[in-house]
Amino acid sequence: MMTDTKIGVFLCKCGNEIAPLIDLPRLYSTIQPEADYCEILSFPCLQPGLEKIMSAAAANRLNRIIIAGCEGRTMLKKFETALEPVDILKGQIDMVNLHSHVAAVSDKSPLEKAAKAAKLITASIAEMRVLKATEQERARIDGPVVVVGNGISSFPAVQKITEAGIECMLSVPEADPDKIIRNLHLSYPGERTHYDRLKTLIKDTMGSKNLTVFEHSRLTELVGVTGNYTLTFTLQNGQEETVKAGAIIAALDAELSPPGPEFGYDGCSVLIQSEMEEHITRNGTPKGQVVFWISDYEYGTPEHATLSAKSAWTMAMHMKACSPETNVMIFHNEKMAIPLTGAERAVNRKAQIAWIPYDNAVRPSVQDGYVTFCNLRDHVEHELAWDFLVLSPKRGISGEAKTTAKILGLVHRETPFLTGHHAKVRPEMIGREETYLAGSARYPCDLQEALNQGRKAGIRNVEMIEKSQAAQLLVPRIVCVVDPDKCVACGQCQELCDCGGIGIEMLSGGLPRVVDPMLCTGGGTCAAACPYGALVLQNNSTDQKEARIAALSRLMEPDEVVAMACVWGGLPAADNAHRRKMSYDPRTHILGIPCVGQIDPAVMARAFLEGAPGLLLIGCLPEECHHSYGIDHAWNRVNLIKKLFDLCGFDRRRIAIAHADMNKPEEFVKTVDAFNALIAALGPIPKTQANLDNLASIYQLCKYNTRIRTLLSVALRRPWEKTYRGDQRHALEFDRDFTAAIEEEFDFAESALNEPAFYRYA
Amino acid sequence: MITFTINDQQVTAKKGWTVLETAREYGIEIPTLCHHPAVKPSGACRLCMVELKEKGWSKLVASCIYPVAEGISIYTETPRVHNVRRWILEMLLASCPGSPEISTLAQAHGVVSTRFKIHDPSQTCMICGLCQRICEEVVGLSAIAVVDRGVHKKVGSPFMRPTDVCVACGCCLTVCPTGAMQNIFDTVRGEPKMPLTQLAM
Repeated sequence: MMTDTKIGVFLCKCGNEIAPLIDLPRLYSTIQPEADYCEILSFPCLQPGLEKIMSAAAANRLNRIIIAGCEGRTMLKKFETALEPVDILKGQIDMVNLHSHVAAVSDKSPLEKAAKAAKLITASIAEMRVLKATEQERARIDGPVVVVGNGISSFPAVQKITEAGIECMLSVPEADPDKIIRNLHLSYPGERTHYDRLKTLIKDTMGSKNLTVFEHSRLTELVGVTGNYTLTFTLQNGQEETVKAGAIIAALDAELSPPGPEFGYDGCSVLIQSEMEEHITRNGTPKGQVVFWISDYEYGTPEHATLSAKSAWTMAMHMKACSPETNVMIFHNEKMAIPLTGAERAVNRKAQIAWIPYDNAVRPSVQDGYVTFCNLRDHVEHELAWDFLVLSPKRGISGEAKTTAKILGLVHRETPFLTGHHAKVRPEMIGREETYLAGSARYPCDLQEALNQGRKAGIRNVEMIEKSQAAQLLVPRIVCVVDPDKCVACGQCQELCDCGGIGIEMLSGGLPRVVDPMLCTGGGTCAAACPYGALVLQNNSTDQKEARIAALSRLMEPDEVVAMACVWGGLPAADNAHRRKMSYDPRTHILGIPCVGQIDPAVMARAFLEGAPGLLLIGCLPEECHHSYGIDHAWNRVNLIKKLFDLCGFDRRRIAIAHADMNKPEEFVKTVDAFNALIAALGPIPKTQANLDNLASIYQLCKYNTRIRTLLSVALRRPWEKTYRGDQRHALEFDRDFTAAIEEEFDFAESALNEPAFYRYA
Repeated sequence: MITFTINDQQVTAKKGWTVLETAREYGIEIPTLCHHPAVKPSGACRLCMVELKEKGWSKLVASCIYPVAEGISIYTETPRVHNVRRWILEMLLASCPGSPEISTLAQAHGVVSTRFKIHDPSQTCMICGLCQRICEEVVGLSAIAVVDRGVHKKVGSPFMRPTDVCVACGCCLTVCPTGAMQNIFDTVRGEPKMPLTQLAM
């Protein structure tokens, strides 16, 4: 299908929004010779305009479309949908925002604005020229679905999958429904009322003909990508068993553990809810005074209080029903709202279960046989007598569940619970539609909710497999691919990637990484961090960005600034600045990028090599990267350029990284105005031969020096950030070592400038 | 090809186009608020009303959702259209008095005050549902919706609490015609973990 690149540029008049402000005929005459086709349309976004684009594309055999009008964030999808039938796919359409970034920014003359617009469009054309568009791939995911993790939500998930006639495998420590139910209270206390129905569900599920059960087995290894997983289970006798699977569901339950000694926990009279239930099962309902203390506020996790209170209440009701002489009360923080419905409150009154609130300001202290608390009404410290003090459990994921989660790549952040995806991106950017995580390990929940999650995970998997069988499951077009010839299996990308999209395909032989295209979110931080250039973000590659920034930088005036704005922070802030009728320095030339993290240091160096006097990277808010800490990785790369500038005697301030909140465009305006003023004051880098040579060496070093690139990718985050705690070193020490390495390599690069091939890896 | 007239100017359109699309293609301005090219039109705000004359009858239609038909005559600037536009703007001035976008637009059409009762002088949202449509159709999520019924109707996330469904792409913020989303946005995506400190000017 590879034919010549034919680029069509469509300039939008947008009624009175663009046409009177930008000299479109002038713009047309500048762009027309560069593109293969150029046309001015009234409204390319409306049906008449779309039809004109389609007929122009067909008549001129265009395969790249640039629409210069408004923001791509909202409009691009419409063009992609409309142009898909004529084989112009995502990635082959680009939008330049004349509306927000040129027309509305300032009160310059239409002629001057046309010149700025021409620069931005020329850059876009340059990017489109080097785009290597791929064909649309379809994902193939067949059964079987493997359900691992021993959680109770396995059963509804299995039920839904086997019902749909899809083969399913289940790994459980115990296949006997009675034994499963017997131990359920250890994860879900106070759920006895559901046991009968649950037992029926487990029995039905276990009897299904499409199900294979692995008893007493442990997941020890997982390799492969969505649609083609290989899982290794270790059986009880030490033997290993390997199974192939199309999809995986992790059903994981959180573990309940006792609190620290300050609560007087001893496991017999002061105990946690799950242990109380065990006590009831073994010895019957205890007599005397039982106090359920909803101690979640004291653990620092008030969000779990309602859940604990609900299980306490169910257990209390059960105890009252079994043994009326037991005196049960629920002792709770006044800040917690009692989680009972009207009808439940009536039942509660009849059963005479007291809910005793205590003042949040005074922490209750446990004594032998008593717990003291401050009463809200009289502010007197009262004592509550107990024979059994039942504390809330501490919830978290540990042990077996955590090991399984780690193998499945579900542990992302240092939170006590698991998240399916770290990435916060549009659903279309992640190919896999199913939820593959269910149970209370996601977030604390009751049994009903866990079962619902399991059911949902099952249904989603069935839908996904059916879609794939109908050949309708598309692989996202902007995902990373690994060049196995270049990959040296250093594993850096895997370390950086938070979407869990990078793995290894087989366990034997060389270990080049593979990308799971159904999990990759297209963040590209990993691609820009690869020391060997082995990872490429397809349809949005570093080459493309380099071409774009080079074309734009070549056209920069001495006081103009290139700004790369991330689509989750800087770009919407710029768009919203226009919506709120703000104006900012028109010398800012904004290039929209999906994530600051995907900007390779070579792209930054290229901008200066081609003549840009300043480069500003505007990312999202700190700690809110939608991909994998992109802005933090970009920080390290900017740092590299600054150090190199120091070596060459250029001003370090020519490159900067900034944060923008899309809902605070006024702050964005301050950012760009301040940077523009700075660059205007600095002036351009004088174009002497020595400077040009230096810039060329900087570029060479950023692009090809594997030592520096490796150092960059292992630096991970900034010294003070804690997410990759183990990898942080003494800030100053690290910086000095890094500077020393850069100096060494830079001298080397200067001497080898005339032989760049020397630096290229095989 | 369908031939009809807009303001007595003969225009041609294709099946499936709306009156608004055809008018804009021919450079005829019709004011809109809830219309956005990225999503399907919904005809919520009624500001794009035009007069349609057919076989001696005349009626007002919302041009953003009215499909073109052979031989109809559309008028965008008749007294009847101006009248209804001004009424709509007057009502909008009462329902979202806090929105500078609405007051500017109203002023441009000669409406400077309203005879309707203003319930909440700070209200900026006109509940056109454009944010909901863009979230659903373009982003592919349903993080935001029009909740409650009747006079209690408002825009927000479920239970008016920050939702995990929202990916904070800001599409709703960009398309909001009255600027109301600025106030709602943080309750949908959640307050930023590390907000930018704003210096008092």
